[in-house]
This record gives sequence, structure tokens and C-alpha cells, in this order.
Amino acid sequence: MPTVKMTKTIPTISVYSLTGCAGELLVILENLNKMLPYVRILSFPFAQSTNDDGPVDIAFIEGSVSNPHDLERLVSIRRRCKMLVALGNCAVWGCVQKGACSRFDAEQMRNQVYGEQSTIEVMPASRVEDHVKVDVKLSGCPIDSTQLLAVTASLLKDHLPYIPQKPVCLECKLKENPCILIEQNLPCLGPVTATGCGALCPSVGAPCYGCWGPSEEPQMEAMAQVLLEKGYRLNEVLTRLQAFGAPTELFSRLTSSQALVNPPDRSN
Amino acid sequence: MEEKIRKTIELPEITRIEGHAAVHVEIENGLVTSVQLEVFEGTRFFERLVIGHQFYEIPHITSRVCAICSTGHVLAAIFAQEAIAGFVQPERLRLFRELIHLGMIIESHATHIFALALPDFVGAKDLVEFATKHKQYFDSWTKLRAAGAAIQTAVGGRPFHPVNLQVGGLSQYPEANDLLALKRQIEDCKMPAFDVAEFLLGLTPPVARTSSPSFVALIPDSSEYGYFGSVALSSDGWEAPVTDYKQYLQEETVAYSHAKRTTARGKDMMVGSMARLFLHGNRLTGVAKKLYARSAMAAGDTNSIWNNLGQAIEVIQALDRVGEIIDRLASFQKSQEPRPLTSASIEGLGVGAVECPRGTLYHAYEIDDAGTILAADMITPSVQNTGRIELDIREVVAAIADPSEPSLQSGLETLVRAYDPCNTCATHMVKVSYR
Repeated sequence: MPTVKMTKTIPTISVYSLTGCAGELLVILENLNKMLPYVRILSFPFAQSTNDDGPVDIAFIEGSVSNPHDLERLVSIRRRCKMLVALGNCAVWGCVQKGACSRFDAEQMRNQVYGEQSTIEVMPASRVEDHVKVDVKLSGCPIDSTQLLAVTASLLKDHLPYIPQKPVCLECKLKENPCILIEQNLPCLGPVTATGCGALCPSVGAPCYGCWGPSEEPQMEAMAQVLLEKGYRLNEVLTRLQAFGAPTELFSRLTSSQALVNPPDRSN
Repeated sequence: MEEKIRKTIELPEITRIEGHAAVHVEIENGLVTSVQLEVFEGTRFFERLVIGHQFYEIPHITSRVCAICSTGHVLAAIFAQEAIAGFVQPERLRLFRELIHLGMIIESHATHIFALALPDFVGAKDLVEFATKHKQYFDSWTKLRAAGAAIQTAVGGRPFHPVNLQVGGLSQYPEANDLLALKRQIEDCKMPAFDVAEFLLGLTPPVARTSSPSFVALIPDSSEYGYFGSVALSSDGWEAPVTDYKQYLQEETVAYSHAKRTTARGKDMMVGSMARLFLHGNRLTGVAKKLYARSAMAAGDTNSIWNNLGQAIEVIQALDRVGEIIDRLASFQKSQEPRPLTSASIEGLGVGAVECPRGTLYHAYEIDDAGTILAADMITPSVQNTGRIELDIREVVAAIADPSEPSLQSGLETLVRAYDPCNTCATHMVKVSYR
């Protein structure tokens, strides 16, 4: 009688980076000893020399798509993985390079930095989900270790994780921090920024600058109005709100609005 | 007619470095005709993307150039803007900044030494093998990396991309008592750091070096082996204030290459641990001093492979210095601390520089009377090392009779890794091309 050979397969992961600061790779390295017992790492070129770029269960991708080479690699990774996790602000929103491309033309920036004759191929920085299907989006700059482990654990149990997208003010209130936006007139972007960091900046008395990316249904116009009333200039407000990759369409009404004019300086 | 014998050496993607890079070497009739270090990281135009932002936002944006040396990019931006504001940091603030900087040095060096460089020397093919067969080193790395992260979190609020460092001060000054717990963690790191330094000290360089580079590093602004300063010193005998960086550093675009190359007064240069030790090794104390005295570097060997050992020696020195700083901070009386500058009272031009793990980092800004950035310039350590890496490869390949030997390729990778190149840092001034 033939015997059925029972083999327990360990789920596989691969870790890839496109254009970014390598921060998410560092967070994965920091948590490696917690992940290694449960997964087999096939490819992680930042951290190992022998890499298997074949089919994989979970592909973690950090970085934005900023040139044709990034795009080519992303499409190839999507074809080979069961689950694709976009990790970090760069992959989920496009981070500061997207913020710049919202304000300036990418080719113009290239010419200003490298000269008119430059042959560098540039694409305006874009999100991973602009090009391929993304199964899980975990933002952060850098991502939070606890969230990374929770997402990994969920996926290993074959279900999609829940990642809250409420404004970070929620965490700030739970910490009973005084509101530095209201009480100190600091340009805190908490009301339109997604939760996840633990309200790090306002907890030390510094204004949130939006590194987690926008919260769900961010009220950009209301946020801008509050800052204008506090005496910040419209250009300053728009530049700050867009810095960490918030999509330009969130600002379409704001930039075209006639109703929104600089009110007088009330800060003193 | 004799036919030309052409050979090429291709290292299509160098693994275990930060970012994406490749090496192409062409050899014709036994002569090296071309060496290219190709960086194919996407461009992010950092000098352009900060324009239009308010000055106080800049450190948190430039931080994103690179995670592993984010604290350095934050401090360089802060120093440049404080130079414009005419702000002089009081000693206590300076100590907090030195403390977090040392946390970065420890974390970055440890990650490079153990996770990126060491597998070449102990023969681990992947992470699992490294974590199991070489568990001792894996655990040492975890310990040191965690200590560096804990220091940065204590001062900066998180392990990297610190939130607490601002132009003109800290948002919140940590309680000295809360730092005391770090001292025990630091003590636990000393033995593993010493062990790996001993191991690296005993290695034989896999490839030889035939010429000495021009070393450049900042002259520390205190009597310690430090990382802050405003004057650069070269092993060629010159020194210059960092405000003159455009005069002593020349950026050139080379036709064959994708990277702008930076030279120091026309010579290929090397920055980083080896440069600092070569120029300021006499400032080391204790165990670090003894280890350096026993090293080939102290005897005049400038093979870049010793940069790994150089980093280990700097980690040991940093661990001692962290303890001293924590004690010193505990001795301060509570006083009025400078608050972060937020008003638009700063205007003009300024340069800030800092010794990052991989070498000197320069930031320069021009700010208008509303506190808005008009122009910016950054020169990262990895860009300063590019020319010298290529020269190293050229010399090594030229010195070896049979360039097809497989050990040469791995030797070259080991050599490139020793520089700890950081391409996420380099890219904002790198020209990208594909072949």
C-alpha cells in the first residue's frame, strides 16, 4: 500500500526594495529573530547573498516606483507572489519623493539637478498600488514593529489583517497629551494623518508632520482652514500637507477654492 | 595580426549593501580598460524637493534620505540652519546630540559589520545559516543593534527618523535618570564588540591594495574622538573650514559613469572610519586605543578592507563615550533649555557637516526672510568614496594574473562592501542608466 508522505511546508517570504531609504528593511532586520522560526526567507538581497527569486508566499515591498526599472521588478514580483504587502509610506503613498512630484515636474527636477542633456529615465514617484494589485498596505515611516509582526502573523494564518486608518489624534488623546495644535498653535497635522506611530511627535511636544500618510477621509480643507486662521501662509500649509505623499486629488478643491483666502494674522 | 583578448568581470547586483549597485570591469590584453560602479537606485532629487519648505521642517525631510544614518542627516540639516541663525548650542544640548549620534554609529556599524560584512569571512550563505551556524555573532549583532536603537529612541523618540531633534533644541529634554538604564545595556555590549574586533584584527586581506588614498575627515570640535566639527582635515596636509566645501570638493560628471564623482583637491578620496582613525586615532582611549595600536592600520596599511575593523574600534570607543555622556548629563543642574526655533527669524546661507558612519556629510541651505528654503545642496559620504572604490577595483584586477578566477569576483564584492556604500544616500546625485 502506498504511503502518503506528509511534509509540513514552512511559508516563504521575500523582501524587496524599490526607491526609498531602506527603513522598512531595517525594521524587518530588527524583528528577524521573531520571524525566522515561522517563515523561510527566499530572497532578501539587502541582507543575504544567496537569493531565490522564484515563487513565494508573501512578498514584502518597500519603496516607491520611481523609474522604469522599479516598475519592471514590481511586475515580476507580483507574478511570483501569492500575497503582496506594500510596506512603509514610500510603497503605500510615495513619501517625500511623491510630495515633491506633486509640486514640481519630475523631468524639470532632473534637468535642474543633472543638466538639460541628462538621459536619466525618470517617472513621477508613484505608489505600488498604482501599478499592481496590493493585498495589504502597511504604512509608516518607518513602519511600526508591532504592526509588522501582527500583519505577518495574520497572513500566516491566511487572513487579511485589520490596519486602523483613523487620525492619529485618537492615540494622542488616549495618551492624554495636551493638544499642541489648539493650545500652542503649532502646525500639527494629526487630524488628517493616519494612526499607528503612537502619536510620537505630539507626545514630545512637536507637531505631527504627517509621515504615516493620510488618515481615512482626511478633511484637508478644514485642516488647511485651521492653519490659515493661525497665521500660516497658504503655500506653507499646502507644502506641509503634501510633503509625505498625500495624493494631489485630496487638494483639488482646496487649490481651486475661491472661498479660501488668507485671513489676517491672528497668532499674536 | 594578433587578436585582442577581451574579458569582462560582471557583478550584476552586489548584495548585502544598502541600495542597488553593480560593478563592471573590462580587461583588454591583460590591461584594465574600464571600471564602473553602477548605482541603479531610483532618484529622489532631495536638493530639489526641500525647496519651498519651512526651515524647521527640513531635518524631518532630509532624514528620509537614508534610514540607517537618518540621525546624521537630521543633525547636518540642523547644524546648517543653526549656522544661519547664529545659534550656538549649549553644552547640555550638544551632549544629547552627541549621544544620539553615537547611538547611530553603534547601530549602523554593528549592522554593517555583523550582517553585511561578516558573512564573507565566516562563510554564511544566507540569513538562516548566519542565525543558526553563527549564532554567537547573530546574537552579538542583535545586542549591539538593540543598544544603538535604544540610545536613539531615548533621545530621538524612535530607533531612526528621530522626532525629537529640532533646529534650536530638543522638543523634550530626556530625564537624565531615564538614561541610566542604558548604561547596563551598554556594558553588556562591550564583550561582543571586543570579540568581533579581535576576530577582524586577525584577518588577512583577501585582496591587496597598491596605493594609499587621500583620507579626509572633520577635525573634532572637542578633545574627544568626536564626530562633530566645522573644519575638514586631509591626509595630504591641508585643512579647510566646511563653509569652503565647494572649493576643496570637486564634483565631476564622468562620461562613462552614472555617478557624479567627488574628488578632494583633484585626488580620489576616502572618508569614513579608516579616514577618521588615520587622522585622529591618537584621540582614542582605553580598549579602543589598544586595539588600534595592534592593528595593521596603525602600522600604515591602508587596505580598505580594514574599514570593517575600523568600525569595530569606533563601536568600542562609542560604548565608552556613551557611558561618560550619561554620567555627565546626570551631573547637570536643571536650567532653562533652548526651545526649538519656529519663527521665521532665520535668513541667509549656511553649511553644516557631521561625521556619519560612512564619512563626512555636508548639507547647505539658502533661506529667505520668511524662513522658506530657496536652495539646497548635499554631499554624502558614499559619493565621496565612489572614485576611490573604482580605483581600488582597477588596482586589484590589474595585479592579478588570471582575472577569470572566481575568487577574484567574491574578493571584489568583499572590497566594495568594506566601504559600506550606501546607495540610498548616494542616489540623489547619481545619474542612472541601464544597459
